[in-house]
Amino acid sequence: MEQLLQHLVNGLVLGGTYALLGIGLTLIFGLMNVVNFAHGEFYTLGAYATFTALAFAHLDFFLAVLAALAAGAAIGAAVERVLLRPLAGESIDTTMLVMIGVSIALQNAVLLGFGGVAQSIPHPFPTEPLVLGAVSIAPLRLVVLAAAGGLIAGSYLLIHRTRLGQAMRATFQDPDTAQLMGVRIHRVHTVTFAFGAALASAAGALLGPVFLVYPSMGDLAALRAFSVVILGGLGSLPGATLGGLVLGIAEELGAGYVSSGYRDAAGFLIIIMVLLLRPSGLFARAERVG
Amino acid sequence: MRLLVAGLGAAAALTLPLWLQSPYHVHVVIMAGIFTILACSLNLLLGYAGQLSLGHAAFFGIGAYTSALLTLRLQWPFLAGLVAAAAASGLAGWGIGRLAFKVRGAYFVLVTISFAGVISLVSVNWMELTNGPLGLPGVPAAELFGVSFRTKSAYYYLVLAGAALAVLVCRRLVRSRTGRAFLALRENEPLAESVGIDAVHYLAVAAVTSAALAGMAGSLYAHYTRLVSPEVFLFTYTVTMVIMVVAGGKGTLAGPVVGAVLFTALPEALREVVAWQWQMVLYGVVLILLVFFLPRGIVPAVGAALRARMAPRAGEPRLEPGARSPLP
Amino acid sequence: MRYRLIAVLLALLAAPGLAAVAESQAPVKIGVIQPLSGPVAASGNYVRMGAEIARDWINARGGIGGRKIELIIEDNKSDPKEAANAAEKLIVRDRVPAIMGAWGSSMTLAAMPKLEEYGVPMVVETSSAASITKRGNPWIFRISPPSEMEALGLEKYLPALKIKKADFLAVNTDWGRGAVGAFGDVLKKHGVSVGAPEFMDQAATDMNAQITKIKGSGGDTLFLTTSVEQITLVLKQAQEQRFQRRIITTGGSSSPNQLIKQAGAAAEGTYHILFFMPWFPEAMPDGKLARAFVDEWSKRGHPFEGLTEGFRGHDGIATIAEAVKIAGKDEPRAIREALWKVSLMGVNGPIRFEKDGPAGKESGQSRPSIFVVQIRDGKVTLPDFVAKK
Repeated sequence: MEQLLQHLVNGLVLGGTYALLGIGLTLIFGLMNVVNFAHGEFYTLGAYATFTALAFAHLDFFLAVLAALAAGAAIGAAVERVLLRPLAGESIDTTMLVMIGVSIALQNAVLLGFGGVAQSIPHPFPTEPLVLGAVSIAPLRLVVLAAAGGLIAGSYLLIHRTRLGQAMRATFQDPDTAQLMGVRIHRVHTVTFAFGAALASAAGALLGPVFLVYPSMGDLAALRAFSVVILGGLGSLPGATLGGLVLGIAEELGAGYVSSGYRDAAGFLIIIMVLLLRPSGLFARAERVG
Repeated sequence: MRLLVAGLGAAAALTLPLWLQSPYHVHVVIMAGIFTILACSLNLLLGYAGQLSLGHAAFFGIGAYTSALLTLRLQWPFLAGLVAAAAASGLAGWGIGRLAFKVRGAYFVLVTISFAGVISLVSVNWMELTNGPLGLPGVPAAELFGVSFRTKSAYYYLVLAGAALAVLVCRRLVRSRTGRAFLALRENEPLAESVGIDAVHYLAVAAVTSAALAGMAGSLYAHYTRLVSPEVFLFTYTVTMVIMVVAGGKGTLAGPVVGAVLFTALPEALREVVAWQWQMVLYGVVLILLVFFLPRGIVPAVGAALRARMAPRAGEPRLEPGARSPLP
Repeated sequence: MRYRLIAVLLALLAAPGLAAVAESQAPVKIGVIQPLSGPVAASGNYVRMGAEIARDWINARGGIGGRKIELIIEDNKSDPKEAANAAEKLIVRDRVPAIMGAWGSSMTLAAMPKLEEYGVPMVVETSSAASITKRGNPWIFRISPPSEMEALGLEKYLPALKIKKADFLAVNTDWGRGAVGAFGDVLKKHGVSVGAPEFMDQAATDMNAQITKIKGSGGDTLFLTTSVEQITLVLKQAQEQRFQRRIITTGGSSSPNQLIKQAGAAAEGTYHILFFMPWFPEAMPDGKLARAFVDEWSKRGHPFEGLTEGFRGHDGIATIAEAVKIAGKDEPRAIREALWKVSLMGVNGPIRFEKDGPAGKESGQSRPSIFVVQIRDGKVTLPDFVAKK
């Protein structure tokens, strides 16, 4: 029983960051119909930005995370403006292929710049775990969970309470009408991509100190992001949030009770089952055809 | 004109081991041949049926393992192993097709990724069957009618035959009624359905053929490298195949061939030119530039350029290059 | 007139000599295949750095018969297919007469058929899978210990360790699985009960589930086999779960200084099986050589934590160079014959190959020295039971 609680807590912490990854991708994938293969690379960039800020600029921890967010947003906006906007009319495969190219170039640029050796990000929190009954959790992980929660809440506010968010939702529902109503579609796309990238970078910045930082860390993250998106439904924020938590917990329980080797299978199997039983995901509206 | 080019190409291909001296280059050509089969197979799903499958490495790997296990553990002859590999992958393709075509577009993509992920994990963890990460070394050499294909030159001809077969199969399929159904479904699915074209049936045909060809490629790969390990399921193989199809020109017959040859040669060429740290960065940049300037792919771009060259003078209407496909 | 004749005669005599000298100026090429990118890039790079030191030392001493050594380095990207490609390229394009590689057992196994196909020997510096030397490939010469040898190296300390029940957590590759089998056998032979092994994927970062399971097993010792990156993660996560057991890492890739730096207090008390002790170079079989290596390494600004793996690169290149010297020429077949006659002192200790594998097609296997260290008070020390001896 205690093992179960511990697994649940571990899963919750991971799930919070998966939710961040998922929210970013569901916006990009759902709104812009771009298969963002480089999503994992933004995660990696966020982690390395934090590492650079802490190890070289000696910034405060929270400032470093903010710096990572800003870096992700900036690079995301640049990628969208330079590469995606000119390809706006092309098929989904073309944009996907460009993002594959970006992903390869970015990951290897990081490898070139930082070397292949894994780095550890120093953090200011005590390493002695907090003990709550049978469950122990490191203070760092609690901070990560809290920060992830804060960012998720912030995203909701942005989407549902601001003009920008309104524009984004309108563009998602019906781009043509939105354009007729005066929404600047191009700008919305750039902001959406930058926002999604920033969230991915935040996830990387938060998880970086928990694990290790190395150039290929984004690969698994990207795969999980896609799993979360499918689980929660394309374009749905609550879906991505819940999907992230479910995936994190399922992975932990799968690794704990079935087999550690099949840990990642939990995510995949969930996807397949969801798609067979409830194809539009847990929360989304029915998929738009055409 | 076209026949001349084709004839020269065929002559060059048939005599390759004679004029390509370095065994290393022959090795690159053999890998290009295997990837040609893979790219053609993916093109069926992606370019013609209009469905993006990101789990294609799974079919490749299933074919490789099937062939390796049957020839290694049960001493089956090579040809039987090859056929069984294609059949096993084809069966998997049918299963995925049936399951996945209930959903389309982005969801299909993710089901295929998940399928590949699960198969990959099984190959790593099911020690009794696949020997897990240790892999299956010592796969016997291919032997056909008493001829053993051990040397590179010999294997080149085997792969050449396989690639020719793949292209022929795709060509026949595309030019048949099934191919026209694909086109109809790709252009406008609801309309096609309304005139009685059963989407799920035709998509399943595409999936099965595509998977079977990929399985055949897997078998050829297994008997060439003589070692099969879970790395065949790596996502990078799938990504490479997608690059080859889309950059070469999806929905065309020559596109995957061009893409396969180009993107097999590119990393090797980069290995010559730059230090190992810069190879993959350049690879990514080349890819980005290629997609940016030739968004439809190389073959359609070359085709359009040739057509423009031969276009009638001002005053007469120009022919439009191939129709654009609005994919879901 | 006479002087002219003498000059011409001298020139004629000198010509072949000059030609021979010109030819022998061509460097001796040695291929190196290592994972320079991917999940185990740290280790591959350390090995490369060690190889470069060996090359520079040998060249400084005049090279081999006057010819300098040149290393041609290929990255196998932690992928067996790339390892095979790299081997092919080195042999066919660069025409290397010998190779050192390829770090991971799966990568080495993938490259082995190429060695047989072209007839080029390879010195294996890190891989530990038993199958590498048992496969019947006469072009393989290994200086690293297979897991079986490693386990036997620990055997003499078992009475002092007093283990009642051991658990295993290993990376899911040939290396991890081989270690679990080998150590399990030795432990069982001494009456120690062994729990069910847990595995982790090479690229996995979260091992909490496995740690939670092991926590409930009732054992007192955990054997951990993986690369330093994952060891760091396991130790940190074990600390978070208040895992209070003795931990012994195997495989020699644990880089204790990197663990101290990155895992901090979580690494306290852990034991490590290594094949080089850069903290006590004088205790190595050739103390002077070991000290010189440590000094050169730090002179080049390489991270200290890389020494525990970097020496492998040095010993591998030194072995090949010695074989070329014995053979008198850089021709693959001759080098292979010469490798059987090699007897030199590496940083790890004496290197000499014994026959291993099926008769008629034996591979070469050396008997490296094996050491155990412990991290105490944030520093690397010799465990009590070793120091007493």
